[in-house]
Amino acid sequence: MPKSVHITARRPTFEEMEKSLHISKARKRALQNILDELKTKLSTRVEANLSPVEPETRRKRASAA
Amino acid sequence: MPPLPDPNAVFLNIPYDEEFSRLYVAYIVGLTQLSLVPHLTTEIPGGDRRLSKIFKLIQSCRYSIHDLSRVEVGAAPTDVPRFNMPLELGMAVTWQSLHPGRHTWFVWESEPYRLQRSASDLNGTDVNIHHGTPEGVLAELRNALGRDHPPSVPQMQTVYDLVNSALNSIFLRNGTSNLYDRSVFLDLCSLSVSLGAFFPASKLAV
Repeated sequence: MPKSVHITARRPTFEEMEKSLHISKARKRALQNILDELKTKLSTRVEANLSPVEPETRRKRASAA
Repeated sequence: MPPLPDPNAVFLNIPYDEEFSRLYVAYIVGLTQLSLVPHLTTEIPGGDRRLSKIFKLIQSCRYSIHDLSRVEVGAAPTDVPRFNMPLELGMAVTWQSLHPGRHTWFVWESEPYRLQRSASDLNGTDVNIHHGTPEGVLAELRNALGRDHPPSVPQMQTVYDLVNSALNSIFLRNGTSNLYDRSVFLDLCSLSVSLGAFFPASKLAV
């Protein structure tokens, strides 16, 4: 058996993944509060990770103006 | 002949014990972040025909991961090695031998050469090594099940940390502290999939 493969199948949509896992709408609704909290945390971390120079750039632009 | 397998489904053959809990969450998060759908035997209701249901589940998945890192003899004389995982690996090997285009199986271990001691008949099999850490699982999943525009390992780790931080809320909601409970599994999958929807893998790619 190979140690790795390259998957060429189309990526499932998130709805298709949820359907495949039998995740109900009721479950999603019940998890909404937890999810909102995680999304807030994720947004903060993503901004920090993907745009590390942005605050500096903003500061320079502000001082140039 | 059973229907064609789901090309994005992965049968996860793992131990259900406390020592494995961090790796279990890492497997679920890692697979869903790679847009793959994990399937476990916990999804199968009990009953006399459990083995045939497990075989059907393997047949419905394009891939299977068999983590043998916890196949070991316990300290107490009454302890016995776990044989469910090697048994299910044997089923996947047989199915793949009969229908090579329908299934691909992977063996995962915590350290190199351990498999040669526990199952020497598998000599010649390339083993995926996770070193017993969530980071190792995430990195190895990304290597083993490659697809275009995957998230980076640190990004997968971020989602892992977030989902892990929600465990107590998930336990409370489901009235259980059993990580391997089916409801907990579905909640973990739902949160991880939703976080992927919130921030798609293609945008995460660096």
